[in-house]
Amino acid sequence: MPALKLIPQLLAWTALAVVLLRGFPGRRYLTAGAAGAGFAAGVAGVLVLSRSNPALPYGAVRSLLGGSFLLLWGIAVAVLYRSTGSSRPALPAGVPAARPWSALAVSFLFALTAGAVCACRLPAAGADALPVAAPLLLVLAGLALGAAALACDRLVPASLRVGFPALWAALVALLLFSSSFMIRLDLFSPLSMKVMKGTHDFVHQFMESILIPDHLFMRPTIWGYIGLLFNKEVGFWGGMVIWFTPVLLLLLANRFEQLPKVSHIRQGAQRRKLLAAAMQARNLRLVLPALTLAVFAAAAYQSQFPTVEYWDPKPLPVSANAAGEIFIPKKGEVDLEDGKLHKYLFKQGDREARFFVLMTPAGKLTVDLDACAICKPDGYGQAEGTVICYYCKTLIPLETVGMPGGCNPVPVPFTVKEDGVHLDATPLLNGWSQTVQATGRTKEGGK
Amino acid sequence: MRYLLKTFWSALGSRFLPPLVLGFFFLAYVGIAFFTDETLIALMGITRSNIFLAALLALIPLNALVRLARETVRQLRRRQALNGAPVRALPELFDESVELRGAEIPVELEGRLHAAGYRTRRVRGSLAAWRGFGLFPARLLFLAATCFLFSGILASTTVKAVARGMVIEGGPFPCPSGPPARVERITLSPSTGSILARRLTIEVAPEEPGGRRRSFQLYPPSQYGGAFVYPRYLGIGLLVRFAAPDLPQGFEDQAALNLYPPGKEGSVAVPGSPYRLDFSVAVPPEGEDRYGSYVSEHKTLQVKLLKGKDLLFSGALPEGGALVRDGYRIELPEVKRLVVTDFVRDYGVYCVWAALALYLAAALLYLPLRICWPRREMLFRAGPDSPAAYSRAEGRSAGHAGVFHDALDLLETRATEPAGQVQQ
Repeated sequence: MPALKLIPQLLAWTALAVVLLRGFPGRRYLTAGAAGAGFAAGVAGVLVLSRSNPALPYGAVRSLLGGSFLLLWGIAVAVLYRSTGSSRPALPAGVPAARPWSALAVSFLFALTAGAVCACRLPAAGADALPVAAPLLLVLAGLALGAAALACDRLVPASLRVGFPALWAALVALLLFSSSFMIRLDLFSPLSMKVMKGTHDFVHQFMESILIPDHLFMRPTIWGYIGLLFNKEVGFWGGMVIWFTPVLLLLLANRFEQLPKVSHIRQGAQRRKLLAAAMQARNLRLVLPALTLAVFAAAAYQSQFPTVEYWDPKPLPVSANAAGEIFIPKKGEVDLEDGKLHKYLFKQGDREARFFVLMTPAGKLTVDLDACAICKPDGYGQAEGTVICYYCKTLIPLETVGMPGGCNPVPVPFTVKEDGVHLDATPLLNGWSQTVQATGRTKEGGK
Repeated sequence: MRYLLKTFWSALGSRFLPPLVLGFFFLAYVGIAFFTDETLIALMGITRSNIFLAALLALIPLNALVRLARETVRQLRRRQALNGAPVRALPELFDESVELRGAEIPVELEGRLHAAGYRTRRVRGSLAAWRGFGLFPARLLFLAATCFLFSGILASTTVKAVARGMVIEGGPFPCPSGPPARVERITLSPSTGSILARRLTIEVAPEEPGGRRRSFQLYPPSQYGGAFVYPRYLGIGLLVRFAAPDLPQGFEDQAALNLYPPGKEGSVAVPGSPYRLDFSVAVPPEGEDRYGSYVSEHKTLQVKLLKGKDLLFSGALPEGGALVRDGYRIELPEVKRLVVTDFVRDYGVYCVWAALALYLAAALLYLPLRICWPRREMLFRAGPDSPAAYSRAEGRSAGHAGVFHDALDLLETRATEPAGQVQQ
């Protein structure tokens, strides 16, 4: 069963190997060797890093993914700028042969990331006692699939060559697709969240900078339109724009690519033949970016509709004693020390507060509001070593739950005794009211 | 040195510079986002205090200026060339150039170009043909807008100064610059505009003889003493008196509280005692104007008296009235309208406004020209000194290239025909 979970990652790795071999057709064996070594190194790297800190491999892989995506943006912008420049090729544009070091470096790095993503998918990744057999089998499977890709590459027509920008885009897309199956490696959801917050900041600053009056002076309809920019849908659509734009820029660059100069040729038929050949080559170069676009779409879809099931228990009602103290026993209806999120609901008159108790991986109990200081209080769910804010889809590593700031759940003061957790009802209610009031203002679109 | 200057000049006008600078700031933004949620504000703060970052940002308006100058020169030179004037480095001004063999431009070519929809001009052995309108004016506006926008951002980021003040009816006008003045009246009334729902007016009278009365509204904001008057929120300024059994000497204070929208609480703490007074404006019934109480001449506030965490009592307290209970007495002799106002000294605002207007004008000019009437040009130069043909298109380039190629074919044919045949 765990092997089945690896199927998307292994398929992506095979496709990645094929694309690499197409990208460096003159260096097939060098590419294949570097890719195989990179894959094995990626698996081994996760093994080593997870022994020192279980969260470390995820951070490292996410940095690699984020870095390669940012570089893709840079490459796409540069290619677009180049294609819209005034210089025009004297001869039909071709794909230059790659240098050995670039084939080696690109193959190794992308294969390393692919191997690391696969290793993060292993069921015991992050645990202290990671069995050696599973990673070993993974490396062997990866090498076998790499060899299969080498065999497949012979069947692909030689005319189907890949330029460096399209190669980079395809490799990044495959890695992002591969990682989108793991919430701790997924980039699209955090990107959407950052876009939402960034847009909010930007609109706020922009309105202040040109001295636009606050919402209380505006017509509700107008403010309603401005308020659209504060919605979480802005995060999603803004994320989509950032997600797809690099490949769209590459397609656009292809469209803007100038045809070769043929004015010096005085035979019309020859001119037309050359132009037709150039256009055909240009159209052929659209194939891989178009496929890449589909892979990006699949990754975004997987991120938005994950197959992960979040642990989200129904809040249990609790009450306070005459002194206003709420007591939750360690071992009662639920076991507070089982590492799972346990939600509670406290009501007093017309006021209420929702909170949860959780044992962190460090073995410390933490009590927090089921809300953060930024988002609408949609609450949190738990999965794969994290809690997730349902509103903005931010993942909070379990290690940092209990620390204030950002989208972390707001901590509540409490004391732990032998018998269980004790907390004061008044700060709990006040904390909830203040948090909901503050985030409610944000929700209204207030600045 | 000359080489260095040339390289610097070339880099300053490069079209790659703005995306590089913006890319750098974007990366900085991404980096800062790892450490704080107030990413944009943090980035602006760092740029304000770091001369290197400010200089980097200044490269964008400089780049726009240099490109504007270069493109203007190119445009003028191209026009000179089309008018038949001798211009050096002609190939740089066009997309394509081809050497010609013939010494003359046949009249027949003019006819063909006319038939293809081009207008022509023949001057001293050269033939210019063109159709459509150039995008240069739109480009000029765009580059000017970019220069203004980033100059504005740079000015706002580096030298903007904001002072917040409480503008209270009857009180001094708290602008940190400008002559002393007194706030005469604050009015809030419904607006008939399509964007603003309310009209806020702050009337200010001079305190020095010879000064003039001023009236400030919401938008566009007016200036006072070089600072924009930017009203932000509404509130209440009040004079409160309080006495308690254990505080017989009483307490009196003036407070400025940000109490709108209704329901929002503002506190006045009694120093040296555990007492605190929480004031709020009652939330009006559904359907009524939420700011009706602000407009009203007779104001009533909700007040809560707290001792430590304990609520002693609460009630409604009208202006000029008193709330007396269990030996406690709360009085509100004065309740005034208040506007929380920012006094913004920021000359970047003008640049940003100008940039927005210029971008709009550029887009309105660019779209119809580019879609319907793109500029296409050809220039044929005959004669003993390197005869050549030049072509350039700002749109519909495939059709233009076809006409240009046909023209070159005709010139080639005529150049290779025997002399007698040509004369026929």
